[in-house]
Amino acid sequence: MSAESFDLPLPPEPPPKVSRIGWLDWVRKNLFNSVFNGTLTAVLTAGLLLLILAVLRFVFSPDRRWEVMPPNAANYVVEAYPREDLFNMWLSLWIVAALAGFSTASWGMRGQVSVIKVVAAVRAIGATALVVGVLSLWSPAGSATQTVLVFGGVALFGVGVGAMRLVREEREVSVARVLAIVGALLVGLVWYMPLESGTTWPLTITALVVAAFHWVGKLVGQWLSDRLMKRVVTILWVLSFPVIYLHIQRNPSLVWEEVTSWLPWAGLLIAAGPAVIWIVSRAGREQAAGVNFLLGAVAIYSWVIQWPMAIRVLFLLLTLFSLATPTFAASPRARRAFYWTWLAGGVCTLYLFLAGIGSTDLATRGHFLGGINLTILLAVGGTALSFPLGVMLALGRTSSMPIFRILSIVYIEVVRGVPLITVLFFGDKVIPRFLPPGLDFAGEAKALLAITAFSAAYLAENVRGGLQAVSKGQTEASRALGMTTAQMTMLITLPQALRVVIPALVGQAIALFKDTSLVAIIGLADFLRVARDIVPNQPDSLGSILENLLLAALVYWIFAFSFSRASLRLEKRLGVGTR
Amino acid sequence: MANRPSLASPTRPPLWRNATFLKWAAQIGVLFGVLALGSVLVGEAMANMRAQGLSLDWDLLTDPPGIQLGEGIFIKPSTGMEAFYTGAVNMLRVALSGIVAATVVGAMVGIARLSSNWLASRLATVFVETLRNIPVLVQVVFWFFLASTLFPVLEEDSSGPIPGVLLVSRKGVSFAWPFPQETFWQWGAFLVVGLLTARWAYRTRMRRAEELGEDTRPLTWALLVFLAWAVVGWFAHPLAGAIGWLFMLLGASVGAIPVVVYQVLLALVSLYLGWRWIHRFLESRRSPAGLAKLTDDDYFRMILAGALGAGGAAVLMLLPAATEVGTNVVQYLLEFCDQKFEFLRSGAPLAIGTPSVDVPGRFPQIASTGLTMTPSFFGIWMGVTLYTASFIAEIVRGGILSVPKGQSEAGYALGLRRGQLLRMVILPQAFRVILPPLGNQYLNLSKNTSLGIAVAFPEMVQVGQTMFNQTGDTIQVILIWMAFYLSISLLISVLINYYNRRTQLVER
Amino acid sequence: MENGAANPIIVCENVKKWFGDFQALRGVTTSVEEGEVVVVIGPSGSGKSTFIRCINRLEQHQEGRIVVAGIELTSDVRNIERIRSEVGMVFQQFNLFPHLTVMQNITLAQVWVRKRSRSDAEQRAMALLERVGIPEQAAKYPGQLSGGQQQRVAIARSLAMDPKIMLFDEPTSALDPEMIKEVLEVMQELAGTGMTIVAVTHEMGFAREVANRIVLFDEGQIVEEGPPSEFFANPRHPRTKMFLSQILSH
Ligand SMILES: Nc1ncnc2c1ncn2[C@@H]1O[C@H](COP(=O)(O)OP(=O)(O)O)[C@@H](O)[C@H]1O
Ligand SMILES: [Mg+2]
Repeated sequence: MSAESFDLPLPPEPPPKVSRIGWLDWVRKNLFNSVFNGTLTAVLTAGLLLLILAVLRFVFSPDRRWEVMPPNAANYVVEAYPREDLFNMWLSLWIVAALAGFSTASWGMRGQVSVIKVVAAVRAIGATALVVGVLSLWSPAGSATQTVLVFGGVALFGVGVGAMRLVREEREVSVARVLAIVGALLVGLVWYMPLESGTTWPLTITALVVAAFHWVGKLVGQWLSDRLMKRVVTILWVLSFPVIYLHIQRNPSLVWEEVTSWLPWAGLLIAAGPAVIWIVSRAGREQAAGVNFLLGAVAIYSWVIQWPMAIRVLFLLLTLFSLATPTFAASPRARRAFYWTWLAGGVCTLYLFLAGIGSTDLATRGHFLGGINLTILLAVGGTALSFPLGVMLALGRTSSMPIFRILSIVYIEVVRGVPLITVLFFGDKVIPRFLPPGLDFAGEAKALLAITAFSAAYLAENVRGGLQAVSKGQTEASRALGMTTAQMTMLITLPQALRVVIPALVGQAIALFKDTSLVAIIGLADFLRVARDIVPNQPDSLGSILENLLLAALVYWIFAFSFSRASLRLEKRLGVGTR
Repeated sequence: MANRPSLASPTRPPLWRNATFLKWAAQIGVLFGVLALGSVLVGEAMANMRAQGLSLDWDLLTDPPGIQLGEGIFIKPSTGMEAFYTGAVNMLRVALSGIVAATVVGAMVGIARLSSNWLASRLATVFVETLRNIPVLVQVVFWFFLASTLFPVLEEDSSGPIPGVLLVSRKGVSFAWPFPQETFWQWGAFLVVGLLTARWAYRTRMRRAEELGEDTRPLTWALLVFLAWAVVGWFAHPLAGAIGWLFMLLGASVGAIPVVVYQVLLALVSLYLGWRWIHRFLESRRSPAGLAKLTDDDYFRMILAGALGAGGAAVLMLLPAATEVGTNVVQYLLEFCDQKFEFLRSGAPLAIGTPSVDVPGRFPQIASTGLTMTPSFFGIWMGVTLYTASFIAEIVRGGILSVPKGQSEAGYALGLRRGQLLRMVILPQAFRVILPPLGNQYLNLSKNTSLGIAVAFPEMVQVGQTMFNQTGDTIQVILIWMAFYLSISLLISVLINYYNRRTQLVER
Repeated sequence: MENGAANPIIVCENVKKWFGDFQALRGVTTSVEEGEVVVVIGPSGSGKSTFIRCINRLEQHQEGRIVVAGIELTSDVRNIERIRSEVGMVFQQFNLFPHLTVMQNITLAQVWVRKRSRSDAEQRAMALLERVGIPEQAAKYPGQLSGGQQQRVAIARSLAMDPKIMLFDEPTSALDPEMIKEVLEVMQELAGTGMTIVAVTHEMGFAREVANRIVLFDEGQIVEEGPPSEFFANPRHPRTKMFLSQILSH
């Protein structure tokens, strides 16, 4: 094409003005554009009105006892956690809030949203409240709620309409600011609502912690590199989980007498780790294999003889480290990283054992996890634990070695072929059969194991899809460069495969979150069980089961829906970012 | 020009550096480890159970379980077998009717989401986004409690919203339904023959249509043929009772042959399969220039195949019980079929039952005359159906969207209307995309029926739990569950694969 | 050139290879001297790729023997990795790692396989990128480069391992005409430094100018081999004549 322009007689014209479509036109076009659609609209409108009326009659019936919910807030969230130790729960929440503030600072909330959209949302909320309030006038109802609905609705709607007049032109505000305002409004609501006493201040503090750590994160971010900052925040998130559930909420008492017999040995083992890594990384291939073989043999043998559990686990961990050394820790820098990882991992393992052996110092013994807290533990813990297992199964299923492949296929297909509830019963009833008489895990631990085992099979299938999407050329190129199979898997294949399947993995995490509700059947006090059995059977709230079930449905829905929306956005962004 | 270097004699690496050997050693080591772990665990479990006075036997299937089930064929089962049979049938009732309903609802909602009618597409979106984001268990429990607390109380003079046809109450939802009678199976034999001949008629008419190039109405023909057989069968079914003799004969001959014969036959089959694998493998390595040189890897594979075949045969020979169970099941099935047929047994194959109220004692009950959904059935059925429907809707929508836009443009250009386009162009193509994930949803629905336990609906899991609460035989019950659900999964995936292959064959 | 000199770096003796019951190599015997540049040509499906992939054991031969740099290719775990770090390979489809930057692509194997420190590896990578003429692309991802640039990165990635032998499998076949030249120039420069090269390519100009020897493959065997002057001027085998007439005619 030529770059020069000629003076042609026809200059460009602006497009013809579209006359604004009136609402009647809109209705005709979208609702009554054919006989069939007209009939459909009529039928659906009638059905919808009937449904709305039925729902309103249900909601505003004098039999409904919505007022039982605020006083039971603590039950929903933590169930039987001793109320005098409730500070532990607040502390957990604040840790999460702090990390959330930190994350928003380091990942940045650069999103913008148009003011018109925000105002429209306010207007829509107001309109909905108003309509519901007015419709409820025809149903027998408590007056206070109706008043709030009608007047609040009028106010919001008015503000919305007024603001819409004011902001005509396209203006944008940052999402962070909108969220801050919503947060402030929520704090205001907390002070207004008749919540269980003693919750207003902690909730306010939570909001303040988020804001404070957002600023702290920004300050720290000024003299830390972006990459390092993100790495630190990620590590903190990973660590927060065991710290919260094993230490803060459990409040264990460390009984030193029980561990004196093996503690020195464990310390020795941890101290000897770097030496083993050094030897293996320096030795020739065959010598290293010999050392690893020896370590592996002892590690396996230790499960046959009566060694303390901590020593067995530490030995197994050391074997794994030593196995990975020749491939990943040959250069001096990587070796130094390996020493530190080993020391940190060993000390953490040791601490977990100390905390795990010690009984809890809480006032109630036994079940202290419940409510939404337990639901989150199972969902997050199940996802996190099933990830390595699922990746291993996927690698096994795509392996060139037939026996690994067959073992993986059998596991995956058997687990995927049976319902989750049977796996939960397996964990609950059959695991104790394998343990010495009288010994049993906590129900929560068994459920977590079962959920992990179940989820891993599905995760494996997702990851397998990603692995198969990695082209054969990638493996050939890595082989031609002399990489070992382990290096190829960890550095080339898996990173590419996991990137492809992130949306599927988020989808699976959501499914797992919904599935945790099944633990209610085997008698754990998760959120659904609190809503179905515990609250409706208390004298103050007897028979409020449908109300509670609807609350449960709403809470699960909010979580699952917002996660699936977030995942959609993530999917779009990944789709743009990768080629 | 070409160099012909002579090499020193070939070197073979020592075993511990041979990649193939190491690969197989690792695999066999892991296999061995898994088996060892399994046997250690099982051993431990056996010891624990012995200490508690339990054992890993199958008495629970034959002993009276002393339990009572909420609904089903055997409400007070006299053996464990009967209890599980009841649970299985209940589960299948929910699963099959749920699959049909979820498919219909899901397809309608999925199409509605793409409708040009704003209200319809919005409502469909709300339906999908609401239902698929709420745990199915919450939904099941909600419908159950809705039915058992908000439906009208059953009175002696209740007759429901539609008298004689539909009765809704807290004790259940009952509606008119044609029930199979004693002679149904005899009539069913006619229906099967009718189906086969209808298929034949359809094919011949189709062939004629292709030859003559005119509309031969194959579907109408097929329907008429089937109807004719149904009508004739309605009156002539006593004659079909003669089939019973065939089953009797078969049953007797299966029982007459000693178990050892089956054992030997099955063992031979196992050996044959191992041998055939090796044989085929060698065949595939045969080249025009003779047998290709086999690698170490190939030898390991052949040894493994041979060992598996021989191992299977050995297990079959050493454990007669496994074979015995198999023949017993076959015999039982034959006997069962035999009872359903009797020469010249007469009576109407179907009879319509209508809902009515029965007052046996102080409290009115729904009489078992119509087809009744108890609140439990209602809860589990509504829950799994609507939940699955929301996923099916998305699958249907995705399938329709996957058909390239050019297809609808071409259809419109040919003058098809929207409905015609959907029915004749889009759906047949979308179907191929829809089928695999749809099968997955059917599997999910079947597995989700196990949530009936949360609303006391006696399906497999609820029955099983009631059983092991009585006997403590948890391991056996879990094995039964696994066998049951795995067979269902296998069956559905086999069916789906079959249809998949068929639709793909058409494509070529 | 120095044919007959007793310093072969690759020796193949009666190499045979089957895919199922299809025989891809029917007994290939040849050897390559140190510093020699061998160009392999032949019709599609004649086993050229299979042959050079056997040399670094991306494929395993089933019969016959291959000795590379004094190491026999057997299933000895120790030998396989040694061979692969002596032999570099460049593919038709580049096969760069899309999730890593150009710099990371070149340093990865240096760090993990050659066990170099990261800074050494980065220095080496930069030097090689300058040698192939694209130092300014180091921070980009492969997807952001043109085909010719990608192939030059792939060559740099192989060279970073300090191989004794370079294998090229149709390195220019996936490129647009104007990019072919930039890749061939890099290869020519490489040949000038005395690197042993075995290349499958149909760039006859390159073969004529740079190669010491041309090898024609058909149906899994070597039909004819010889120095380019002789090979192009008076081919002996009728199959060679036909093949040359086909590729030189257009
Ligand atoms: N992995 C494989 N499996 C089966 N057949 C193969 C495989 N790789 C190559 N072949 C076959 O071997 C023959 C030689 O292939 P190749 O060496 O790629 O030929 P080319 O000379 O075109 O590079 C071809 O007929 C090809 O179909
Ligand atoms: Mg090729």
